[in-house]
Amino acid sequence: MKEFVLYTGCTTPVRLPAYERAVHVVLEKLGIKLTTMKDANCCGAQYIESVSHTAFSAMCGRILALAESMDLDILAICGACSGSLKHVKHDLDSNEELRNEVNDILEEEGLKYTGTVQVKHLLQVFREDIGYDAIKSAVVNPYKDLRLAAHYGCHVTRPEEIVQVDDAENPTIIDRIIEAVGGTPVDYTGKTRCCGGPLLAMDDEVGNAIGRDKIENIRAENADGIVTACVFCDIQLTQVQFGEGASDKPKIPCMTLPQLLGPAIGIDSESLGIQLNKISPQAILEAH
Amino acid sequence: MTEHVNTELPAYHEPSSSFAKEIELEPGGSGIMHCIQCGMCTASCMVANMTDRYRPRKLIQKILLGKREEVLTSELPWLCMTCRLCEERCQEDVDPTDIFTAVREIAAREGYIPAVFQNAIDKVLEDGWMLNDSYTDFEEDDRSDLGLDADLGWNTEFVKKIKKRYFKGGIEV
Repeated sequence: MKEFVLYTGCTTPVRLPAYERAVHVVLEKLGIKLTTMKDANCCGAQYIESVSHTAFSAMCGRILALAESMDLDILAICGACSGSLKHVKHDLDSNEELRNEVNDILEEEGLKYTGTVQVKHLLQVFREDIGYDAIKSAVVNPYKDLRLAAHYGCHVTRPEEIVQVDDAENPTIIDRIIEAVGGTPVDYTGKTRCCGGPLLAMDDEVGNAIGRDKIENIRAENADGIVTACVFCDIQLTQVQFGEGASDKPKIPCMTLPQLLGPAIGIDSESLGIQLNKISPQAILEAH
Repeated sequence: MTEHVNTELPAYHEPSSSFAKEIELEPGGSGIMHCIQCGMCTASCMVANMTDRYRPRKLIQKILLGKREEVLTSELPWLCMTCRLCEERCQEDVDPTDIFTAVREIAAREGYIPAVFQNAIDKVLEDGWMLNDSYTDFEEDDRSDLGLDADLGWNTEFVKKIKKRYFKGGIEV
């Protein structure tokens, strides 16, 4: 049985704990063992990353070194965390000076980065460690007549040569899993575009306009729901459907990928935390 | 009729500073000299699509032209969402996200940093993670109800070392 150490990141445990829960129960059912990383620190994405490449490398380096000390590959479920950890791993593996600098600060707590562990985003675990065939075989309660729009998340899929998750221009992992559980994946304008979330700190009006543009593109294809694979994307594509400036048309429910997968493989919705979703996906749950 | 042939060399347009060279030496900045100003980045950019303020091609042009002060004191490098859609499409292997990150790093060293970034950096370097202030009894209850550990167990000591070694008062020295 393949085992990973789960690095939750800062946001999922506080803002979207149902995602964390769904990852645990769905992966367990599909034969993946998870241990949650403790004594971790923030990966430094966006903020530390913007002002000091060395400090950012040390923060991600410590997370990578913690995983090394456990002899486990890392599972990241947030686009920002998975992107950051993969970028820094790439830099540490190719830049000896940086690696020595990071190891110098890690040495004080007996940690060392040598590059032995891999970082995988959730989508990779589904494709590489579980596989579409095993997912298909696990389905006991397939969906019917359900049109679903996949949103992949920028930092999950780009830059392709570093993150190595999927074809960055035409990603298909979420779509193939939607198919595996009996749904119909729908394409829409701007599928690989950003949700707008990273801009909220600097300009929430523009960030929200970008998110709402995506929602309208998805609505144009008559999708019943949106399937996400990043905590920030899920929260952003949900929150832009509320408040001033939001459309008065019916809201489109967002679900994280394991929340969609769970009911199809026989996990009850409460175990997946679906009752906490801000836009009820009841219609999706009933589409069998 | 003889055609007039101008034998004089064209006047080269010299950048007003070596800013682009400076960016080239920062982590991630190495691709800037390959930019051919085609505008694929601006055409791909959703921020540019939604606001006239931001044009990544123009921002890179300003760097190439040497407008150091103007770029470093501007909010523009901080408006990149880092979505890397432009980078994926660039035919010349220029990474605008990495270039603007290099600009941010230099700007931060010289004290130009947007307040929202400064506040978030201070928080992370204080608490070890982003959302310490948002983690209240309500969120703890949600976690407990879901059967998740309410004790998140974040390390708060490592960021103190980071702060001491790489930052002074939150701004990098």
